[in-house]
Amino acid sequence: MREIWIAGLAVPAAAIVVAALVYALGGPVAGFAVLALLLLAIVIWHLTQVVKLVHWADGELDAPVPEGHGAWRIPFTRIYRRVRARAAVHRDLAHTIARFQSAAEAVPDGMVVLDAANRIRWANRRAQRQLGIAEDGDIGTPLANLLREPEFIRYLEGGDYTQSVVVPSARESGVTLSMLLVPFGVDEKLIICRDITELEAVARMRRDFIANVSHELKTPLTVISGFVETMQDMDLDAHQRERYLALMEQQAQSMRRLVADLLTLSALESEQSPAADTTFAVEPLLRAVYADALALSAGDHAITLDAGPAATLVGARDEIASAFSNLVTNAIRYTPKGGRIALAWSIAEDGSGMFSVRDTGIGIAPEHIPRLTERFYRVDRSRSRATGGTGLGLAIVKHVLLRHQATLEVASVPGSGSTFSVRLPARRVHRLPAAEGARETAVPARG
Amino acid sequence: MNDHTSKQFDVEMEAIRSGVLSMGGLVERQFKRAIQALEDDEDGELIDAVGADEQQINQLQVDIDQQCAQIIARRQPTAVDLRMILTISKVVNDLERAGDEIKKIAYKANETLGSDTLRRVRYYDVVRAARQAEHMLQLSLDALARLDPDAAVEIVDLDDAIDAAFSAILRQLISYMMEDPRTITPALEIVFIAKSIERVGDHAKNIAEAVVQVVRGKDVRHASAEQIRAELAGP
Repeated sequence: MREIWIAGLAVPAAAIVVAALVYALGGPVAGFAVLALLLLAIVIWHLTQVVKLVHWADGELDAPVPEGHGAWRIPFTRIYRRVRARAAVHRDLAHTIARFQSAAEAVPDGMVVLDAANRIRWANRRAQRQLGIAEDGDIGTPLANLLREPEFIRYLEGGDYTQSVVVPSARESGVTLSMLLVPFGVDEKLIICRDITELEAVARMRRDFIANVSHELKTPLTVISGFVETMQDMDLDAHQRERYLALMEQQAQSMRRLVADLLTLSALESEQSPAADTTFAVEPLLRAVYADALALSAGDHAITLDAGPAATLVGARDEIASAFSNLVTNAIRYTPKGGRIALAWSIAEDGSGMFSVRDTGIGIAPEHIPRLTERFYRVDRSRSRATGGTGLGLAIVKHVLLRHQATLEVASVPGSGSTFSVRLPARRVHRLPAAEGARETAVPARG
Repeated sequence: MNDHTSKQFDVEMEAIRSGVLSMGGLVERQFKRAIQALEDDEDGELIDAVGADEQQINQLQVDIDQQCAQIIARRQPTAVDLRMILTISKVVNDLERAGDEIKKIAYKANETLGSDTLRRVRYYDVVRAARQAEHMLQLSLDALARLDPDAAVEIVDLDDAIDAAFSAILRQLISYMMEDPRTITPALEIVFIAKSIERVGDHAKNIAEAVVQVVRGKDVRHASAEQIRAELAGP
């Protein structure tokens, strides 16, 4: 403060000294005239400083604070310091807001902030996409005007926000959204919308699965109980009784197969890690699969085996055997009498192994191929059941292959045949020494 | 006092507009259900739901019309506000008619089952045209929510596409009917369905044109997409 007094009074004091000198040299009139002029000049100079300050205060918000002189230097510097401190706080705040917003953008759910009248205040990018909100134009529009789904409007106006509401997305077809409203602040609301399309799909799959299993079990059961009733009510001769019992036996077999497949599938699904890896030779396994195929076909098909290079596999032998024989069984079922089925084993350049089953059967239309490994998916229901399939074979194959990091490739031409190939990763396949391998390939394919 | 009155008026206007849009939401849901009834066979439940939606739509039409009459009588709105109210009562009519057509689509969908020859027309061409009309309805209601006149151009273009789809369906059906007279009855039903879809598209177009009228004060009914584009490019 003293500084201000010193700086402020120094100039008038100097003016008085000058005026006193003039008074002493030139008389009282000249002395007072000089004093008056000097004081007027000082007042004008002060006023210009005030004008400078007002100019600054009226100008742009971030205009620099002007420099002050004399007594004004101190208040100007103080203002400058204050402005600078305020700017730093402002920067921090802006930074915090930006960080908060980028966090809100990173949240995988859509978020919308509504004001008291349910108008859109803010929406993160995901919500903009999910709900079709335009970032610039739709701020201030009532949300219900854009999201017109009656269920949602009832929820928004109902006032009971303890549960979320599930609505189909109007902007992205096939997408289901679950929206939860959370009141906050004074009359403001936050809406969180989550894409639950996949959850819904899983729930639907579970429902479908149970419906399918019940249906598949019911069909043979109905047949059996029908025969039981007939046999209870009617006197049958030995021949008829024999025939009915055979048919019942057949249905019971198909139920048993279905239950066995279900158990296999559930074991494959529930075990986290694959069964203990063992190392086993490919050729005996191929021979076993081949022998089973010959027995099942009973001479109806020309079946050949190309055992290829000798190798060992690392994995669960039983599982791989069941996957291979499922593919072979399918080929036999879907190939008419007199057709050809070729089993082949080979090792590619990169060391991966491939087991393929090529048939000259009825083939599969391309639209069915991606869905073949779904449980109970059938291209032709009546045919599949007639041939004794459970509808789970390829689902089992898929799970076995998943556990061995192997893939299933399907190529098919409707009417002329299909090829199912299993590709096993190189690290699970070990080629045996060439000498032995050469001997193995020399074995002619039988069939 | 004056300020308070005009604020109250704004709230009432906003409420009417939101009412129309929620009625639009109901029509949109009804249309979704009708399309589903077209795609999947059977399902009487779905058709009942469409009928129930229709009754709710009718009730909303009566309510909103009453609100419009009241606001005109009590507030004597002028200029843009009057235009808005007149437009809203037009839009309400269009929505109600669209609801009627959609109900017809759902009911007829049930009657055209069982004709294998016409499967492709029904499950592919008709459903596709219906989806286009649904998209149009959505766009025009969005235009009303945002008071965005520019959307009208796209909507008028889409309407032309639906009209073309309708005549293509018609031609296809005629050739089926000439080949096999047994397909005449189901084919006629499909014609009615396609006609209703085309009508829904027309109502959506009317809504979009009404939005242009509110915002720009220009009547663009009966104008082509080109003319509307020229109008909107002007001041």
